Amino acid sequence: MLRTPGLPCRAATRNAPFLTFILTALLALTAAIPAAHAQQLLFDYVGFDYESPVIVPGQFGGLGNGYVGLGEVPVLESPLVSDQTNYEYTYVLTGLTATNRVVAPPFIVIQYSGPGTLTVYEDSRSTGTAFDYGVNPPNGTAPSSFTDGTAILVGNITNFVYILNTSTGSGSYDANFTAVGGTQIANIPVGQRAGWTFAGVTGNSTVSIPQGYAHQVDGQTLIPLPTPAHNTSWGQIKRKYR
Amino acid sequence: MIRMIRTTVLALVACALAAPSHAGLVIDWDPAYFYSTTPGVTATNAPAGSTLFIVGTVSVFGPPLQFLNANDPTKDYTFYIHGMSSNGTTPTAVPPLGTAYVTTYTAGTIELYEGTPRDAAFDPNPPNANVPSTFTNGTLLLSGTFYNFYTQTNNFSNFSTGNAEANISWTGGTLLPFMSPGGQPCPSLFTGGLSWHPGVVIPGYLFRHDGKIDLECPTPARSSTWGKIKALYR
Repeated sequence: MLRTPGLPCRAATRNAPFLTFILTALLALTAAIPAAHAQQLLFDYVGFDYESPVIVPGQFGGLGNGYVGLGEVPVLESPLVSDQTNYEYTYVLTGLTATNRVVAPPFIVIQYSGPGTLTVYEDSRSTGTAFDYGVNPPNGTAPSSFTDGTAILVGNITNFVYILNTSTGSGSYDANFTAVGGTQIANIPVGQRAGWTFAGVTGNSTVSIPQGYAHQVDGQTLIPLPTPAHNTSWGQIKRKYR
Repeated sequence: MIRMIRTTVLALVACALAAPSHAGLVIDWDPAYFYSTTPGVTATNAPAGSTLFIVGTVSVFGPPLQFLNANDPTKDYTFYIHGMSSNGTTPTAVPPLGTAYVTTYTAGTIELYEGTPRDAAFDPNPPNANVPSTFTNGTLLLSGTFYNFYTQTNNFSNFSTGNAEANISWTGGTLLPFMSPGGQPCPSLFTGGLSWHPGVVIPGYLFRHDGKIDLECPTPARSSTWGKIKALYR
């Protein structure tokens, strides 16, 4: 490394302490990266999905169809702050349009353009409006009763992909989630704002899915765990790698 | 014409009355983890005869179990699903993306417990000293047959995600009457998403599962006549 072309050996020798310093710092940073980029739960959500607008009627994920998911958020984890007793928490996932549809019976894989938006709202249980799915959304209460209140977290959704098995009637989706706004955005350290979301979806319930909705959804959003760190001196770090 | 309209309206009203008395989320968890005691099982291949076990901690209860507090610091609510074995994994090519995999299982048993203290621990490499024992200590609140279970995975999703689903017939436990309004146990749907992303799976487990159980009570019905129904709404 020190015998870089054009760099005289004497200069290299003179710079060796500096290079050692840099190398040590890099090693220290490397040591701080958690194995497998461990994730932590940010929030858990349950709800239903539907399509709006519908460009291709009768075909879920038809090219140009818009995807909308909405529901309640029964679990919010630190660093978000919640009070489920006095507030209801809802989510709305929107802004996604089906752009590619791979059909391999019984599977259908739908890819969506983005970025979409996944927003978590906080609404007073005493003075706010309770969420109401209604039927055949969009309708008088959905999504409006899910978007009232305070947007506490707004995330951009990209690479949204939906996998459906038409034989079993169920499937899943996942996407990148990047926190970009909301009243609690500052609670999430900048280095932890790029996470992901996933959910299981099913159309198999005969009684739980309100008329006009396509599937019920159970999902969660995860963000990277904070990088563990502790105070130390350069001397201690250098000794560790000698 | 008027008679036809009236008949249609009455039929619609009768249908509206048939809405289920209990439908929707009754148990939500975060997380549950799946594991096998058969060597060689992976997220995309569970050879026929291989075992599967699920342990989980409940995070939210909905009606008719909303009186249970999943966040009670002195208790934990846990579940254990056992007795299933794989019927084999079926791959399906999804060109140009990759391959999807569906694995079906024989029926097993689901058990829901209320335990003190709050000690459930997803220790690595189950079975071990705490798994499943810390998920099966306490009072058996519900038990039932877990059937039609399957997992769906693939090798092309961005975050290694899929889903799992099953039906449940409740048969026992101290809270069985709550799941049986009218004396007839309601069937339930076990559903939710799976991930085998290395950032969320504990060593020795196959999947992390985010899911729920919906209670799907059949519509209570009794024989009647059009005359009686019409009389009801006059």
